[in-house]
Amino acid sequence: MASWSLSVPAIALLLVIALVYVRGWRRGRRLIRDQRDDSRLIAFLAGLGVVFLATESPLDSFDNLYLAAHMTQHFLLMMVAPPLVLLGHPVLPLLRGLPKPLVKEGLGPFLTWRPLRRFFELLSSPLVAWGVFSFSTIFWHLPYFYELALHSRFWHGAQHASFFWSGVVFWWLIVEPGPGKSKWPRWVAIPYLLTSDLLNTAISAAFVFSGRILYPSYAAIHGSQLETLKDQTLAGLVMWIPGEMIYLIPAFTITVQVVTGSRTRHNYGVTRVRRALAEAGANRLLLLARWRRPLQIAMLAVAVAVVADGFFGPQITPLNLAGVLPWIHWRALSIFALLLVGNLFCMACPFTFVRDLGRKVFPARLRWPRQLRNKWIPAVLLLVYLWAYEAFGLWDSPWVTAWIIAGYFVAALVVDGLFRGASFCKYVCPIGQFHFVSSLVSPKEVGVKDAQKCKSCQTYDCLRGNERSRGCELYLFQPKKAGNLDCTFCLDCVTACPQDNVGLLSIMPAKTLVTDPYRSSIGRLSKRTDLAVLVLLFVFGAFVNAAGMVTPVMMWEHGWHARLGAHAMPLVVALFVLAGAVILPGLAMVLAGGLNLFTLGGRGVMETVRRFVFALVPVGFGMWAAHLLYHFSIGWDAAWPAVQRVVAGTATAFAMPSVPDWLTAAQILVLNAGLLLTLWVVWRVAIGSTGRVRAAVALMSPWAVVSVGLYLAGAWILLQPMQMRGMMH
Amino acid sequence: MRKSLRVVLAAAALIAATGTALADGGSLIVRKQTGSLVVSVFSGESPVRIGTSDLSVMVQKASDQSAVMDATVMLRLTTRTPAGDVTEVVAPATHAKATNKTLYAANVTLPFPGLWRLSAEVTSGAETAGVTADLNVLPQAPPVETYWPYFSVIPFAILLFLFNRWLRGRRELAGPRAQP
Repeated sequence: MASWSLSVPAIALLLVIALVYVRGWRRGRRLIRDQRDDSRLIAFLAGLGVVFLATESPLDSFDNLYLAAHMTQHFLLMMVAPPLVLLGHPVLPLLRGLPKPLVKEGLGPFLTWRPLRRFFELLSSPLVAWGVFSFSTIFWHLPYFYELALHSRFWHGAQHASFFWSGVVFWWLIVEPGPGKSKWPRWVAIPYLLTSDLLNTAISAAFVFSGRILYPSYAAIHGSQLETLKDQTLAGLVMWIPGEMIYLIPAFTITVQVVTGSRTRHNYGVTRVRRALAEAGANRLLLLARWRRPLQIAMLAVAVAVVADGFFGPQITPLNLAGVLPWIHWRALSIFALLLVGNLFCMACPFTFVRDLGRKVFPARLRWPRQLRNKWIPAVLLLVYLWAYEAFGLWDSPWVTAWIIAGYFVAALVVDGLFRGASFCKYVCPIGQFHFVSSLVSPKEVGVKDAQKCKSCQTYDCLRGNERSRGCELYLFQPKKAGNLDCTFCLDCVTACPQDNVGLLSIMPAKTLVTDPYRSSIGRLSKRTDLAVLVLLFVFGAFVNAAGMVTPVMMWEHGWHARLGAHAMPLVVALFVLAGAVILPGLAMVLAGGLNLFTLGGRGVMETVRRFVFALVPVGFGMWAAHLLYHFSIGWDAAWPAVQRVVAGTATAFAMPSVPDWLTAAQILVLNAGLLLTLWVVWRVAIGSTGRVRAAVALMSPWAVVSVGLYLAGAWILLQPMQMRGMMH
Repeated sequence: MRKSLRVVLAAAALIAATGTALADGGSLIVRKQTGSLVVSVFSGESPVRIGTSDLSVMVQKASDQSAVMDATVMLRLTTRTPAGDVTEVVAPATHAKATNKTLYAANVTLPFPGLWRLSAEVTSGAETAGVTADLNVLPQAPPVETYWPYFSVIPFAILLFLFNRWLRGRRELAGPRAQP
């Protein structure tokens, strides 16, 4: 039983499907509560559980050694998992669980396409469904194709997929998962099941009684013919006896229903619960706001421990908290939080907590200078970080890491001790800007729930604050706020709003980049050169930062280092970073903008360039996420030796780096998602600007080329050997 | 929306689950009885390529085919390098490294393509057994060959998008009656 072949991607996918279903199931219950809801939820999750059991349990580990194990696996995939999944009536919950724009705009046209509808009608007709299921069963049990699947991962996957899906097609008619009523009379199910049972009996009998070995691979493994035949007989019995029951029990039940006419449709009582649950949601958000201080205190405690260990602990990266926690864990977890929710790091920021404490001493009476009310300072700091990270190996120096964090505390204290509001967050902090830009692709946004309520508001509590809470320190006025830029997720506005009209809203990632409305405290994105430059550094910096860790680039850098002299490394890295994060994007902008000149005839080219620059955020975020996923997936346990050393004085368990099989594929998929989102935004910006398809294609083409170029660079980087950092190796 | 169409979503979501949860797909390299022990060696991938390879060994009693769980298994692979020297890779195979805990497995890094001599030496109590076989190791597959299904997501998604736009255009042309 120890032989579980756990595959991270498969488990992750099953979990995502379960989450989408549960989300849709819960949304459905907000509208109508049905007595059968719980049993449907249990059935669907049980169905996924059976898929997990079939593909991840010891059955999977033994299937190339024992035919009986393989047949049990197939039995689960064809006969158990599909009916359970269908008993969960999965269609509506899965649709409801997905983002609404995706269902409406993305899937809607396909779901209403007549040829596809006809195809599925055909597929769900008894004769075709029976034929598909029977063909799949016979085809894959023919020795040639069975052996093919046994020796090829690809064909093995295809075999399992076809078993599961032909099972879904077959059991659809029996379970009738809806929505809507089946157009076939119920009695059809009886011959449908009985004939399938006959086929199953014939194949099982061939296994049990044939007396010859059907699949030679098992004979090669078992060595003896007798053992192989025993295994084959057991496999036949696995198919035969439980298979009989699976076919005959529903056939009997349906026969009784048809004969006695006892099949009735109940009118289940419905309860409308939308209002109660909406209120509960709002309360949960206020609870989250109350958690901010404890989160900040926890982060502060971690930061103090990291700084202390960085200054006074051993300067051995894998054994020092400052060598692992900020570089491997914090960076990756911040990105995952941005991907799943939003800017949670800024919410729990320990620097602003210290700043808040400092406010009790420092008056903060000055206004931030007008000339500096832009993003040029953080843009320069971000560029310096990209350079210093590689040039001085920040990740490999706990002492320097500690200095950076301590410097951050001092800077936050001084800036916000002198200047009003959250000037440090808004105009200085490069980490904050990194998170602001990243959160443009987050699925959550702090926003107004009902715009009408705000029209009658005279007090502007979300901005000015009141006795319940201070207002927005970054000067974001909720009714005019669009997107997550400059939002620290502090939730002060949520607490301050007396109407309880500010909430955490679900949004389509990157959708706020499609249009260019006036944004509170930011203005229009198309007018902000400083923000566009910051975004370019964020996007191209993602590729430069990752490229700095791959072998070909490192060898190139070391080659120049050797040629130029002992202290030339900072210069070499500076040239690399300048080329990748400044010159290259500059050239790309000039070329793309120059081509746009022809399309636009010289009108508003700079505004257009600035708008398209923001469209590159998703592909840049995808690269950051793919890169940090690498460090986290191979180094997530690297914190343990450092913590062990701090707590117990000595470390016994060292994190030995190993690259999981699934990692490169997962990184490519993350980068794919980034590129597709970028291309979608590019298209929407172009069609929104021109209104005509041909002109939009002409306008977007240079930007699509830039996006694809970035993607190809990212793909190349991901396929190179990457340096493992913060671990023993 | 019609019920038969809504299965599309469930299909799209679940197909990947069954598609990615692959079985071992291991291939038998050699099986031989030596004394009272039967030793079988499998490779995780077929064909074997340079880089890290997953090799596993099954040790059984010849009398009843039951798995021997307390053996010590050593894998030894030798080949001639392109320069003509002999290179040897030695790796102990253990239950800990095996997914199927009745097997002994080792991740072996094979640095050169070509014909390798594989030997598995098994010690169980006082009994020793060994098998040898030739193993043809191929050069590394190009990354595109390995990861093409993941890269193909992009053109596939773009085609779907174009199709989506075409369908929406048709629907808009057809007027409000065509709306769902």
